[in-house]
Amino acid sequence: MEDSKPTLVLDRVSKSFGDFAAVSDLSLQVRPGRVFGLIGPNGAGKTTTIRMIVNITVPDSGRIELFGQPMSTAMQDRIGYLPEERGLYKKMKIGEQLRFFAELKDLRGAEADKRIDAWLRKLDLFSWKEKRTKELSKGMQQKVQFITAVIHDPDLVILDEPFSGLDPVNVELMKETILEQKAAGKTIILSTHQMEIAEKLCDDVCMINRSRKVLDGKLREIRRSFSRNAVALQFQGDEGLLNDPELVANIRQNGDDTEVLLVPGANPQQLLKRLVDSGAAVTRFELVEPSLHDIFIEKVREVA
Amino acid sequence: MRKFFAVVKREYVQRVRTKFFVVATILGPVLMAAFTIVPALMFGIKAGGPTRLALVDQTGKMYERVAKELMSGKETRNNVATMEPPSQQPIGPNNSKEQINQAGKLIKPTFVIEQARLDNRSIAEVRKELEARVQNRELEGYVLLPPNLLKDGQPEFRARNAADLFTKSNVESAISRAVRGQRLVEAGIDEKTVAKASEPVDLKTIEAGGKESKGDASFFLVFGLGLLIYMSVLLYGQFVLGAVIEEKETRIAEILFSSMRSFPLMMGKLIGVSLVALTQLGIWAAAFSIFSLWAASGSSITLPHIAPMVFVYFIIFFLMGYFIYSTVYAVVGSMVTTTQEGGQLALPVVLMLVAGFYLSFNIIRSPSSPLAFWASMFPFFAPITMLVRIVTETPPLWQILLSLGIGVATIVGLVWLASRIYRVGMLMTGKKATIPEVWRWVRQA
Repeated sequence: MEDSKPTLVLDRVSKSFGDFAAVSDLSLQVRPGRVFGLIGPNGAGKTTTIRMIVNITVPDSGRIELFGQPMSTAMQDRIGYLPEERGLYKKMKIGEQLRFFAELKDLRGAEADKRIDAWLRKLDLFSWKEKRTKELSKGMQQKVQFITAVIHDPDLVILDEPFSGLDPVNVELMKETILEQKAAGKTIILSTHQMEIAEKLCDDVCMINRSRKVLDGKLREIRRSFSRNAVALQFQGDEGLLNDPELVANIRQNGDDTEVLLVPGANPQQLLKRLVDSGAAVTRFELVEPSLHDIFIEKVREVA
Repeated sequence: MRKFFAVVKREYVQRVRTKFFVVATILGPVLMAAFTIVPALMFGIKAGGPTRLALVDQTGKMYERVAKELMSGKETRNNVATMEPPSQQPIGPNNSKEQINQAGKLIKPTFVIEQARLDNRSIAEVRKELEARVQNRELEGYVLLPPNLLKDGQPEFRARNAADLFTKSNVESAISRAVRGQRLVEAGIDEKTVAKASEPVDLKTIEAGGKESKGDASFFLVFGLGLLIYMSVLLYGQFVLGAVIEEKETRIAEILFSSMRSFPLMMGKLIGVSLVALTQLGIWAAAFSIFSLWAASGSSITLPHIAPMVFVYFIIFFLMGYFIYSTVYAVVGSMVTTTQEGGQLALPVVLMLVAGFYLSFNIIRSPSSPLAFWASMFPFFAPITMLVRIVTETPPLWQILLSLGIGVATIVGLVWLASRIYRVGMLMTGKKATIPEVWRWVRQA
């Protein structure tokens, strides 16, 4: 799958509003069947990028290619889009509303009704079908909005901050649903600034800050490349064992946990061996990769 | 195209099903009647009994004549009007003299006249007494005929309500007639000859086409149609404004634009709402037809005859007005962020419509004047003014077609402009757009 043709290609895409550059010279590739995280702080240009992908706005320069073809209105039906700012008709019944949005994606007839019912059941909303939007809670509206993005079974699903406003139960439900979509072979673009979620869901990430790409690639590789040779430790024994400038560069205490930053090039196994040999009871010894959060902060500070 | 129909269907179904639509459809004619007939009745009907006047005759010979003219007068001839149901005689809330006269004729003015004799009192004393009686509501007013009335003296009319124009004009003409009669008699002409010579002419109005004019009824028909266009364009234009603002405010626009192009979206919206309007007008037209059929078969009520072509022209010019104004409303809606701002920005648009409506008062009186011609060519006025001209004095066909042509060209131009502004405007958030910004959008899009 890794070498198959990318679902989406952005090639040196730029967009500015007046003097403000929203997206500058952005290139990226989204491969099929993967969850692609578009991450960055607020105002970095995520939403503008997505709007160009779904053909709401047109880039000033650069090229966007979807499913191997240049962007066009005909392609819009193959994309499902959950915008960051939710929009549902307040006075319309949920069932009718979904039907309307399905028709906008060229899905109609009995098939549309069947899928609407199936999705409403799946997301525990079926009893709300005849209710109007304004009677629903924010989280429910969010789930309805999600259905509008996937009802027509699109090949590419773009979710802009899909977890905002959801309670923990629904966050889990949403995560499961996203992974199901992935399992069904869909390509998913997930834009978020919630790093912990991105970390758990994404295969690839692209980080943008102040309109520019600062980092992209497979999440695993990125984390490895940012690895600082750190070990999370929990043990009972002589703490003085750690005081070896040839092996340990820094020690940080977090409650019961001790985080040990090793000297560059040092072998963590050496530390483990020393601890075990000394007779200390080691309950935890884990090589720590930096969290996306840490990488994100580091990258943003670097640019600033 | 299928997406376009999805938009049309949604706009139509969601609106027709609302309680508002049902209520407005039922209440619409009632409101129309209220707007036209009630002010007329208010204006025409004098509350209370007959007008009690005291007449102070200082000439010593005019009382009989003036009293006679006031009591009977020539108003009998106009009583024809009062025998028809008042629904045929709606009068607008405007104050042109002509209309006041028309409304005045609706009601047979009744006067109770008494003679206030001087009885050796000074005129000032009599005045004082009469003033007191007027204050005590024993009299509505009094008339002073000066001794030199027949030469050049000015009679004086004092009334509690000096603003009552009907009474004033009735008194004025009664005295005039009396004075004229007396002068003729004094010039040696036989009383009978005078009476015969004063017999008024009954003007029979015939339209140039040869059929007898519908007269007052025609006037009210024109007025009613103008008002109906004005109100429905305004109402349905506001619907479009509200719909656009809702989609912008709730960010539905983003999903819509990610699914279809802005042009079919905007057109779908405009056409969907226009179908709602046509449905409503259709229901009214059907109700009116059934009512006039019923009225024609044996009831005493006669409705003004409306030529079928008038209906056709009405629908055509309603659609023209609707598309011109609702396109402008769509632009306004996409430029603002809240309904309140929309209302402010739409005010000049509403004023244009009001201007067209008021112009029609002038055009009813002279439907072929240069003003009428130009007003009916200007696309923002034409929906009302051209219709008024067609119903009053049908202009040459080329003028109607030219007016429609200009209208259609305007609609095409506006829609082109609007669909550019709409797309960009709908995605803008946070602040109201300025005119230079909007101009940039037009060039960029």
